[in-house]
Amino acid sequence: MGVRVLTGLLRKEFAQFFRDRIMMFVVLWLYTVEIVMCPLALTFDVRHSPLAVVDHDRTPASRALLRAYTATEAFDFVAALARDADAEAWLDRGDAGLVLIVPPGFQRALVRGEPARYQALIDGSNSNVAANVKAYVHGINARYLRGLAGGPPRPAAGLEPVTRVWYNPPLSSNMFMALSMIALAGMMVGTALPAASLVREKEQGTIEQLLVTPIRAWQLFLAKTLPPLCTCLLAIFPGVLLMAWLFDVPMRGSFGFFLLESAVFLLSAIALGVFIGVYVQTLQQALLLSFFGLFPILFLSGTVTPIESMPPFLQTLSLLSPLRYYMDILLGVFLKGAGWRELWPETLALAALAVGLYAGALAAFRRRYR
Amino acid sequence: MDSSGMDGRWADGPLVELREIGRRHGERAVLGGVSLTLAPGRILAVVGPDGAGKTTLMQILAGILPPSEGEGRVLGRDLRREPEAVAARVGYMSQGFTLYDRLSVAENLEFAAGIRNVPAALREARARRLLAMAGLEHVTGRRAGALSGGMRKKLSLIGNLIHEPPLLLLDEPGLGVDPLSRRELWRMLAEFRARDTAIIVATSYMDEAERADAVLLLHEGQPVALDSPAALAASCAGRVYEWPTAAGTAASEPLPLRSRKQLADRVRAVLPEGGHAALPAGAVAVAPDLEDVFVDRTPPLPAPAAPWPAAAAAHPGGEAIVVSELSLRFGEFVAVDRASLRIAAGEVVAFLGPNGAGKTTLIRSLCGLHKPSAGTAVVAGADVAAGRRRVQGRIGYMSQHFSLYPDLTAGENLTFFASAFGLDRAAARAAIAWACAVTGLEPDGQWVRSLSGATRQRLALACSLLHRPEVLFLDEPTSGVDPASRYRFWTVIRQLAAAGMAIVVTTHYLAEAEFCHRICLMHNGRLFAQGALAELRARYGLAPDASVEDVFIAGIAREDSAAAAGEAAA
Amino acid sequence: MNLARVGAVITKETRELLRDPITVWLCFLMPLVMLFLFGYAVTLDVENIRLGVLDQDRTPASRALAMRFTASHYFERVRDFPQAHAITESLQRGELTLVLVIPHGTQRRLARGETAPVQLLVDGSYAATSLLAAGYAEAIVRGFASAPAAAVEPAVRIWYNPSLRSVNYIVPGLFGVILMAFPPMLTALAIVREKESGTIQQIYASPLTPREFMLGKLLPYAGVAFGEMLMVVGLGYAWFRVPFAGNPVELFAVAGLYVLITVGIGLLVSALAKTQVAAMLIALTIALMPSFLFSGFLFPVFSMPLMMQMYARAFPTSYFIDFARGVVLKGVGVEVLWFNVVWLAAYTAAVFLLAAWLLKKRVA
Repeated sequence: MGVRVLTGLLRKEFAQFFRDRIMMFVVLWLYTVEIVMCPLALTFDVRHSPLAVVDHDRTPASRALLRAYTATEAFDFVAALARDADAEAWLDRGDAGLVLIVPPGFQRALVRGEPARYQALIDGSNSNVAANVKAYVHGINARYLRGLAGGPPRPAAGLEPVTRVWYNPPLSSNMFMALSMIALAGMMVGTALPAASLVREKEQGTIEQLLVTPIRAWQLFLAKTLPPLCTCLLAIFPGVLLMAWLFDVPMRGSFGFFLLESAVFLLSAIALGVFIGVYVQTLQQALLLSFFGLFPILFLSGTVTPIESMPPFLQTLSLLSPLRYYMDILLGVFLKGAGWRELWPETLALAALAVGLYAGALAAFRRRYR
Repeated sequence: MDSSGMDGRWADGPLVELREIGRRHGERAVLGGVSLTLAPGRILAVVGPDGAGKTTLMQILAGILPPSEGEGRVLGRDLRREPEAVAARVGYMSQGFTLYDRLSVAENLEFAAGIRNVPAALREARARRLLAMAGLEHVTGRRAGALSGGMRKKLSLIGNLIHEPPLLLLDEPGLGVDPLSRRELWRMLAEFRARDTAIIVATSYMDEAERADAVLLLHEGQPVALDSPAALAASCAGRVYEWPTAAGTAASEPLPLRSRKQLADRVRAVLPEGGHAALPAGAVAVAPDLEDVFVDRTPPLPAPAAPWPAAAAAHPGGEAIVVSELSLRFGEFVAVDRASLRIAAGEVVAFLGPNGAGKTTLIRSLCGLHKPSAGTAVVAGADVAAGRRRVQGRIGYMSQHFSLYPDLTAGENLTFFASAFGLDRAAARAAIAWACAVTGLEPDGQWVRSLSGATRQRLALACSLLHRPEVLFLDEPTSGVDPASRYRFWTVIRQLAAAGMAIVVTTHYLAEAEFCHRICLMHNGRLFAQGALAELRARYGLAPDASVEDVFIAGIAREDSAAAAGEAAA
Repeated sequence: MNLARVGAVITKETRELLRDPITVWLCFLMPLVMLFLFGYAVTLDVENIRLGVLDQDRTPASRALAMRFTASHYFERVRDFPQAHAITESLQRGELTLVLVIPHGTQRRLARGETAPVQLLVDGSYAATSLLAAGYAEAIVRGFASAPAAAVEPAVRIWYNPSLRSVNYIVPGLFGVILMAFPPMLTALAIVREKESGTIQQIYASPLTPREFMLGKLLPYAGVAFGEMLMVVGLGYAWFRVPFAGNPVELFAVAGLYVLITVGIGLLVSALAKTQVAAMLIALTIALMPSFLFSGFLFPVFSMPLMMQMYARAFPTSYFIDFARGVVLKGVGVEVLWFNVVWLAAYTAAVFLLAAWLLKKRVA
């Protein structure tokens, strides 16, 4: 009898779920369009940052310096300014992100072997971008120096760093962004759908009909869990294909293991949704909570900013964010080829979150409906 | 846009003048060919089955839905050219509630006045007078959401009266309102009518329609009749008969009747025009009322042909419900106060009482949805205090608020509830076929949200019957349902009871209590009287033909004075 | 336009809002949570990068090099490897971001004046962090033995935000995001709820015109939005010490224009949506997501591909954020950023014309 009740409940949930066109559209949008758009658009990398120059020297040396900058993808030359004061206007308007001011006598100093100085003015209003621009300035400057020496760089005495980047040699943020969008989509869909579906039962009054049937609370929760779980697991496939095709994300680990871990993560997200759905009374509250609750979860996950640089208190709080663990799992499986041996602590943490939330929801449900 | 200065434009002519008004939604004609006029101080009732176009007509009259055919003027303004001017001047109370639950009574009224150009100088005095008239002056600070259904309707009404409109349009004002509040509502309308306000009311209560000067009967968008109630009743004169059940031959008798109403102790029937069949012994002609006219003028509904499979209930003849000293408290508030009650299998019992009397709470606790604070209740052999699990599967519950899944089809709703009660596939198929036959339902692929109210109600009933419960609880199952559909509904109830099911019903159509074996009267959480209608008539010293409403009002009055006396003594 | 009727709608709407404590609470708590999370958490400037060391040289020089890493506050030495083979697993687990490998003979080579290679193994999966970590590490290694003066030296000066504090750019940007997060959604829900509950019928059958109804609905939520804005500006100034270089009057005036757009978008959504869920989802896709991700709030617009830049510039938030940052950080105003203001004004007009046109249609 229990099985029949459950299959009936599931059939109903799936029918309702797949009939909701708007929801299906949003799910697909998140797993395809967002996965393509966000990695393309969202980066702190300095690309095509507008560069303006005030060249008081006007010598081959100063022009070579300028070429060193514009030869990279990082900076696009936008204007040659006449006066130092113009620099301010360009930065103020945001028309230039970097202004180089080369003083008179730049080439002369170089020739004499004296230190030749020039100014680099950076728009610091986006500090993350500014930090990267600063790093680029130093890097390009070093390249310019080597170019001056002519030919291959002389081996100078001292330590020579040999940097080897593992897993993501081009150090492009595309892969990371794409993977974090997969995680984010799961979090959004997983939380909002079960919460809305439970609250709708309350608002329609159908929950009372369910209560006079032999349906048990766990059966109801399971029925609210499976449709979003299956949808997200299915939606992952086009997402992964797009990632592999457009951003060359490798799959170094086992795909089956990845699906399994995704299921565990989705369960924790859905458990949060069920928890919200049991607690609140109106759809507006459920939707507001599940969408705005996303911000803390996102921020404490290390997706937007590294966890290491958060204050200790927030680092501790981040242990509660399921996204944090899932990001480690995604990077581990896709880029590093990690498996259960490396990722068991994250998996257990996700499972613990899921169990805790389901237990809380069950307790609240029992308290409210006996 | 100022309300003064335009009075008199229609002073001589009719307030409403419609010629062949109609409305189409795409290909479908929702309403067509309605012509009528209405003079100041007159009341017009609009009646008809579900989907007859009542609400569409009201919306056209209110100037918020443009007619697609015909010509019409309301308050001297053309419905096609100046609908905004019409909307700005009429009072329109839509179906359902038009209040803001989080605002207080006074604030709701203030808002209603504010958006209707009532000068601030007049506002206060009018509000005070209307509140007093509605009996709401002592609750002005209470939130609208915390009011009873009757109070909410009265508040909606005075919100639409604050600008003293010459024409008042009311769409189902009595829906979900208890009989006492309904009387007060009509008392208020009478006062306004006396001051030359014209009123158009769409209703499914035929006793409300009887109070009108004229009745417009719509069917599938077409006007079927437009006449005074007396003239309409006269059209059925000599064709309405009643005979006692004992004398009545069984339900199978093939009488060519327009309608047949199986009451607790007698049968009421309307004969077709011209056809005088052989009536059973003891049949007497009675004066027709509007309900008789209604069923006479609308096409007959397919009968719910469904013989009940024998021996469905587990304890035939046994006690289905035994309640003793049951109390329910929510904090300080006593919702149900020491109720005691026994209901036998096969018995149909009506719970009557004003809004907030505790009927719904009592039913919910018998379903195991509220834990009793004190006392015991044994339903279908299981103690409800021991938890919901025990009674689940033995009871059926149809709650007051329509609770089916609107995004599933009728068939899917049935399949789901069948499986929720643990029926296997074969059993589910049989149960669904049976429940559909019983309720006269044809489950097709239509979404529940697009079904009419009466069909939904039958579907909800079918869903609560699938597991053949021993006890069935129906909380206001017929509110907003037209008379013909209600007759059929009650026929089903009688058949189910005859097969041994115990049935508890609440209703605001007091006349429906005549279908029930027994009546329980509730007030302020107390179940203070129970018995057959005849017993209660005798108890309150009423005439043997006194209506249920008379009994109800006498009972409540007796209970109120007893309570007052008790308080005085304490 | 009858002001008394508008007043009635405003009063009613304000009362309803105030009596939904959960929503009011969310309105003011969520911006607060966002402010503190963004204020404290959004920085790419990494500290305490987890460092592993494999010292095969075991000489004073190699120890001194490793010490240099920990002495800079960028690195935290969490693990020492006795052998090379444990490194792979450790990186796979994600325990470390960077491993420093000092080979045999490093000290000897340095003493002889030769070039001594030192290996830096970087976990590239968190690309942004890795990039910075590698940069810092290379600088430390290069600067260890000798510090040859560069012949050409850029004097880098960072304007507006010399200390590169992320709060300084987050707070003004947050104005744009918060004003896009709550007002459109609340306005849309407030109207769609009236549709769902049927109270809108009463509005239709009254002298209230669509314009009056819109204005009455809009002003209370614009007020809420302004309250949120004041709170964020105040806290940013008082708690996070964000410098306020420009003229606050200009900022609030343009914010007023922007608030009109955000609630106007809410009106548009309410005209499109029939249910609250639909309203919420539409508001999310056309208001919140673009303003959060594609507005320059976190990620600069100029580094997006052209198509995405056009997409980002189709929404009003990036214009407002540019303006807010200009006023708060750069101390400039309308005289410089007039283009943004003109654009916002045009957007406001378009949104309201469209909303008014959509709301004209009544029950039909």
